[in-house]
Amino acid sequence: MLLPSSMRASYKYITLLATLLQLGISIWLYLNFKTGAGFAGIDHEAQFQFMQKVPWINLNLGSMGTMQADYFVGIDGISIMMLVMTSLVMVIAALSSWEIKSNLKGFFALFLLLDMALIGVFCSLDFFLFYIFYELMLLPLYFLIGMWGGARREYAAIKFFLYTLFGSVFMLLVMIGLYLSVKDPATGNHTFNMIAMMNPANYSTGSIFSVLSHQTIFGFPARTVGFIVLFVAFAIKVPVVPLHTWLPDAHVEAPTPVSIVLAGILLKVGGYGIIRICIGIFPEVAVSGAWWIGLLGIISIIYGALNALAQRDFKRIIAYSSVSQMGFVLLGIASQTPEGISGAVFQMVSHGFLSAMLFFLVGVVYNRVHDRDIYNFRGLGTLMPKYTVFIMIAFFASLGLPGFSAFIAEAFSLTGAFKSLSFNGLLPHWMAIVGAIGILLSACYFLWTLQRMFFGSISLKGGEIWRAAMADLNTREIIALVPLAVAVLAIGLMPSLVFDKINDSVLELVNFTKNIIR
Amino acid sequence: MHELIPYIPQFLTNALKSIPLFMPEVYLSVLFIVVLLTDLIFRRNSQVLCKIIACVGIVFVMVMDINQPLLLINSGQPNGIFLFNNMLLLTRSAVSFKFVIDVLAFILFLYFDWDRRLRAHKKGLSDMYTIVIASVLGLHLMTMASNLLLVYVSIEMVSIASYLLVAYRSESSSSAEAGLKYALFGASASAVMLYGISLIYAYTGSLNLYGGNLVPGLAQVNSIAASFALVLVFLGIGFKLSFVPMHFWVPDVYEGASTPITAYLSTLPKIAGFALLSNFLPPFIFFANWHAFDFRLFLSIIGIATMIAGNFAAVLQKNVKRMLAYSSVGHTGFALMAIVTFNVQGISALAYYLLVYGIANIAALALASYFTNLTGAETLDDYKGLGVKYPVASVCFVIILVSLTGLPITAGFTGKLFVFSAIYNVYQQNHDIWLLILMATGALTTVVSLFYYIKIPLNLFIRHTDILSDPVKSSYNLISLTIVLSVIILLLGIFPGSILEYL
Repeated sequence: MLLPSSMRASYKYITLLATLLQLGISIWLYLNFKTGAGFAGIDHEAQFQFMQKVPWINLNLGSMGTMQADYFVGIDGISIMMLVMTSLVMVIAALSSWEIKSNLKGFFALFLLLDMALIGVFCSLDFFLFYIFYELMLLPLYFLIGMWGGARREYAAIKFFLYTLFGSVFMLLVMIGLYLSVKDPATGNHTFNMIAMMNPANYSTGSIFSVLSHQTIFGFPARTVGFIVLFVAFAIKVPVVPLHTWLPDAHVEAPTPVSIVLAGILLKVGGYGIIRICIGIFPEVAVSGAWWIGLLGIISIIYGALNALAQRDFKRIIAYSSVSQMGFVLLGIASQTPEGISGAVFQMVSHGFLSAMLFFLVGVVYNRVHDRDIYNFRGLGTLMPKYTVFIMIAFFASLGLPGFSAFIAEAFSLTGAFKSLSFNGLLPHWMAIVGAIGILLSACYFLWTLQRMFFGSISLKGGEIWRAAMADLNTREIIALVPLAVAVLAIGLMPSLVFDKINDSVLELVNFTKNIIR
Repeated sequence: MHELIPYIPQFLTNALKSIPLFMPEVYLSVLFIVVLLTDLIFRRNSQVLCKIIACVGIVFVMVMDINQPLLLINSGQPNGIFLFNNMLLLTRSAVSFKFVIDVLAFILFLYFDWDRRLRAHKKGLSDMYTIVIASVLGLHLMTMASNLLLVYVSIEMVSIASYLLVAYRSESSSSAEAGLKYALFGASASAVMLYGISLIYAYTGSLNLYGGNLVPGLAQVNSIAASFALVLVFLGIGFKLSFVPMHFWVPDVYEGASTPITAYLSTLPKIAGFALLSNFLPPFIFFANWHAFDFRLFLSIIGIATMIAGNFAAVLQKNVKRMLAYSSVGHTGFALMAIVTFNVQGISALAYYLLVYGIANIAALALASYFTNLTGAETLDDYKGLGVKYPVASVCFVIILVSLTGLPITAGFTGKLFVFSAIYNVYQQNHDIWLLILMATGALTTVVSLFYYIKIPLNLFIRHTDILSDPVKSSYNLISLTIVLSVIILLLGIFPGSILEYL
């Protein structure tokens, strides 16, 4: 549907054109996206929009019945925002790929392959297809980090790959288990259709993940095990502390465009997966485990922020701030209130734009002098005024200044967490309070960095050479940064741009989980 | 003697009736003689001719294989038919395995003389085609053997061919060592197996797996004695499959033998070994009073040990061939998982998995040949920076290794998927905890296997070398073979149904 066909593009403009085209398509989808209770999606197949369903694998497996996997894509309120965000961030990443100098053909081919996989993940409604796209992201990323990355790129790339694969092979086992438990009501075959997996009635009796049969694996309830395995797989992606250790390495070593894709989009795959698959398929386990998910969320918020405070590498600070910000997503999801989940989705969109912007900005400095140590810079504000403007926008937006997107997102996530006690009794109040402290901490490290690097008199480690190299932003960089700043400000001032589209789906999801419990 | 005379006509009619269902093997025998004669008549110049004849001939054998399912249905016994007085059992899955073996043999025939070192052999390769065809005949018999005597004879047939192949090019000491080691270990393994078979015969007075007194008789024997005999037989089969603890010969032999021979050893005998195992087990599994020996437990433990030993040992290797050798041990463990399902679906998943593994492994070794041909590279360090110089070959290598690891969108992934589904299905019915541990080990070792497989792309693309060797003229035939194989792997990854339905 949105797959760029110019895989062999050896030319950066073709990539840019492809991503722009994709942005155009996604905006068109956004504008044509119908809202209202009839188009909520989640567990109703008919309510998905722009659907495409082509039978793909239909295997007669004798005793096991027919194996059915479809090329089944479609979008609902949650995926549409992810798509818009992904395609905008992809354009920015393509623009920042100008810095890549060696082996352009390989780079852009892998880049577009990654792009295709990401879009595929957000669209697919068939678990098999989802898994294929999910795994397909790994290899291009491995090479993108490994071939064009920094000094410790080998280590970072393999660490990233192994971490994610570890999560996903076990996800494969759960996927097969689900597939063998679920029957398509229409054809009576086993199916990978995610929407069919959400309806407890479709599980055949006595199957391992059936709601009614209470099977056990190693003495634990099977559905709990399934949920935990899937959650761990996605939590590695998000990343949730303590599974986050790949992230600082991968982000720091990756070249700027790949950092942008990693932070801007890849982390959202984790959050999206938790919403769509973990909660969608195992709602009752998600409810009973909400306290733990919330706890992991606030641990990520606080731990990520504290780590960011301790860093002196500019890129590492931002990497850890991602961990912290994604904690809000988890907290919002755990609350399972309409506000919380809206906040989580909003935070994913907002963080997508903001982290792309931040990593782009870091890349600007790094490209000029090949150094990122905060202590080596001082007084950049006078040297690069335009740059400082964008830095300030990005920093203040990230630390939750009202008027910018992160404020809305964090406010909604925290409201959701607060309301949770009265709404469904899942999360205690103290979690929301601790989460709020995280915002304070993020203000600390952002403001400290701002003060240390940009204010005061000019003093650079590299002396005059650096000073000459530190030219202000050029047109291309401004072109890349302006849309992000505008987007951040726009959805900050008019959150309805996002909420209108996601609201029906979020309400449907909340209703759906509530109904399942009863 | 006289009392046997009345039976002779009956035996003869049975044998004659069996021949139409024995056509692939008849073709193979004819092919063997033709290639042998070509070699003898044309002498030194016969190599190319032998190759052409072998390739064309094996295609005919494949056609015969494809006809066999229809013949089975026409004969009124679609589930399986006994040939030659219960010596052979031709089943649907045996046909699948034979087909897989022939396809891989065809690829190998193409590949043999494209390896520079093997081609440099002063005697030419004509003999080799003869030997391999004879061994393929043995492999065919292995897939169908239903009598312990024939099991032994067919295994020996393959073994002797393998001994010759391993020692075919023995100018270096390591190669000679490998040949000798293989022959010694192989001979002792088959002696042990023969001892096991003779014990079974002593207990039961029968060698016929299906029917006769073998299984019921063995069920009445003291269970420790029966288990002992069976374990001895398993050791013999295990030598061919190279499962733990019978895998110790693998790394040395695979490293010492010429690369195409390694490709042969790591695929064909292994596949036939699995086919043999899938024929050997059902009489015991489906015999209601069989309690002496828990095959599922035994094979599960061996499978887990094999996966762990093979994959973890591969991580430590520096030589590419040695690494692939250990990884093939790991794959054996994974394939054992499909065996313990003991059902038709598991066996067809197994056949698919082995086909995919075979193609990918041969392709990986062909690429190893390719790089050795061009640069003499043998260890992982030698591969540094070659990816930029030979991009096409390196991209193919990545695809093939991804398939061996089992990631989408390659055939290796679908193979893994089918094996996992087959075993899950069984687990759902009997909740045997071992099956779950097997699956968890399978998933875990996939991650481990990524760790060593990725070392090849790592060296090809990411690490750089300062040594700049002049680019040698590349050999187009090997590279085109691997391109075709990579495309097949990708296509099977996207449309697995196209093959699986026929297996």
